[in-house]
Amino acid sequence: MCLHFSTTMPLSTQSQAQDEQYVLVASLDNARNLSNILKAISFKDHAIFSATTNGLKVTVEDSKCLQANAFIQAEIFQEFTIREDLVGFQVTLTVLLDCLNIFGGSTAPGVSTALRMCYRGYGYPLTLFLEEGGVVTVCKIKTQEPEEPIDFEFCSSNVTNKVILQSESLKEAFSELDMTSEVLQITMSPSQPYFRLSTFGNSGNAHYDYPKDSDMMELFRCTKTQINRYKMSLLKPTTKALALSCKVSVRIDNRGILSLQYMVRNDDGQICFVEYYCCPDEETDDE
Amino acid sequence: MNCVLEGNCVKAFGRAIHALSRIGEELWLDPMVGGPAASLLVLQLALRSVNAAHSAYACFLFSQLFFQHYSLGSASEQGNETVKCKLVIKSLLPLFRCLTSIERNVERCQISISTPSDRVTIQFFCRHGITKTHSFRFQESEALQAVFASHSCPNVLQAPASRLLSDTVMHFPVSQEEITLSVTPLRLSLRNHYERGNVHMKIINTEISLPPDEFDAFQVGVDSDITFCLKELRGLLSFAESHCLPVSVHFGAAGKPVCFSVDNLVLKATVVLATLIDSESGGPSQSPETPAPTTPRCAGAAAPPVGSYDAGNSKPQDFPAVTELIASSQGSPIINPPALGQPCAAISASTMICSLLFRALSSEQEDAADDLPVLASRSDTEEEED
Repeated sequence: MCLHFSTTMPLSTQSQAQDEQYVLVASLDNARNLSNILKAISFKDHAIFSATTNGLKVTVEDSKCLQANAFIQAEIFQEFTIREDLVGFQVTLTVLLDCLNIFGGSTAPGVSTALRMCYRGYGYPLTLFLEEGGVVTVCKIKTQEPEEPIDFEFCSSNVTNKVILQSESLKEAFSELDMTSEVLQITMSPSQPYFRLSTFGNSGNAHYDYPKDSDMMELFRCTKTQINRYKMSLLKPTTKALALSCKVSVRIDNRGILSLQYMVRNDDGQICFVEYYCCPDEETDDE
Repeated sequence: MNCVLEGNCVKAFGRAIHALSRIGEELWLDPMVGGPAASLLVLQLALRSVNAAHSAYACFLFSQLFFQHYSLGSASEQGNETVKCKLVIKSLLPLFRCLTSIERNVERCQISISTPSDRVTIQFFCRHGITKTHSFRFQESEALQAVFASHSCPNVLQAPASRLLSDTVMHFPVSQEEITLSVTPLRLSLRNHYERGNVHMKIINTEISLPPDEFDAFQVGVDSDITFCLKELRGLLSFAESHCLPVSVHFGAAGKPVCFSVDNLVLKATVVLATLIDSESGGPSQSPETPAPTTPRCAGAAAPPVGSYDAGNSKPQDFPAVTELIASSQGSPIINPPALGQPCAAISASTMICSLLFRALSSEQEDAADDLPVLASRSDTEEEED
């Protein structure tokens, strides 16, 4: 990655001719609308970027058991131009986040970093033009061959149990989770305890119960009692996405694979989604 | 035992746990039957903690009135069958870590002890129908209770239900281990205490004096200087401040324990701290048989009561006033304090912390206690403090 500094060249004056060499150009008046959501999935170094006319999907995976996807629809961007059906590349996420926050990431009102993200195609770096207060920084980040993200084959028709909760009720539970427990057990059932998070730590057990008629429970659709355990180390990173979100949907399919979908409102009130897929811990059986 | 606390009381209970965590690593949850008259069965719940060196003890006693519901369950009301459980404070503290969140969210808390499964269950019933259930294994263990006869203390002070003591100790840095409290009938002063041998030049000395009229009660029978561990006291002072309770202080001469207590209609909290006998010459000597403790230094020298204190010599020792070892620019001679580090057997009690004498709550142990030298005695029918 290399940085060039220049002054007095706002991003909008770049010539049209330069744009034609890029297969992807995405612009945001406020880079935080991208950086905040990427921070929520930054539990690993590398991220796979996948762009279509619908927008941008960023994927981060861990040990073949956990996958996080952040979706930023094309409508969120002030400009989103794509010249191919699918544009994919992989970058070091931590470097990208450092660049997006290059002006210090201050949250002074009315001051934001503008971003123009450009990609020429396979073999080229990802170019970021960042501007704040008239100062422009150009960052070129090396890209890598994108790995194929895992397809968990999770589909709605196989979902056994689903709930949608207001994030507020889960935030406290997640911040209090006993980290000495190796697993987080999720119980979903049409009968008591309905929706339960359990930990089994060194000093004892804890259960967090959310009844189906709680006013925090926006949707409750459980057909069969399921108890599954997931490695705590895999689920703990989801706390970041939970913190940004206002609602979360929890779905478990007939194989015990967990899907968490977080509805995140960005600085401008627009909705983006972050989703996590997690495989159950192998030691247990699905009841 | 099964009890239910409502909203605000949960916060008070949490504060008690915070205060106890300043003392020791373990907590005894002790449902009991107690009261001044044997005929009046008053149910209480005691939370006790002791530090590793047995030089600090705290007890929070909640009466039945504190609870929305309190029962000893299927156990006999005589109390013989009640279980005494010992829990690790580190497991309990996270449940009560954020008191503001408890205030906002928790409507009710239920605590129950189950003997067959050796578990204590703490259940929080929160807003929006959410329930949090925590269960811990406990160890069945006789609780220790500090033996302290407050009625025989010559000095009794009561700080008003304001922030008097909290504001006073605020002037000492959080790292300050011990302070010395000196009283005469005319004034009370608090100053920091440092271990002899520390580089005096780099220490900021703080001394605060308070006149008797700052106190609701100021009875000084014996002029004394007592040095005790401040860190262990801070928990009780925060508790008193948050509940706007006056703090009573009972003590005697250096070497005898000091007792800080607060009470209102529904609860009584007590912290008993050992004091240095020689409060002026610096740190306590280390008993060679005692393993190096990990608790604060002020607890470091406590040796078992056996053989370390001559029961016949219950009067405070007189020591020459020892001046600080700072070479005077005037060339005055340096006075050397008495030597420290004497072996346990030959101890002259010159610079030793007297550990508090503990007696197990069950009366069967009294014969053992008779052979030990007693720091303070308790009569058969009274609780440890009146």
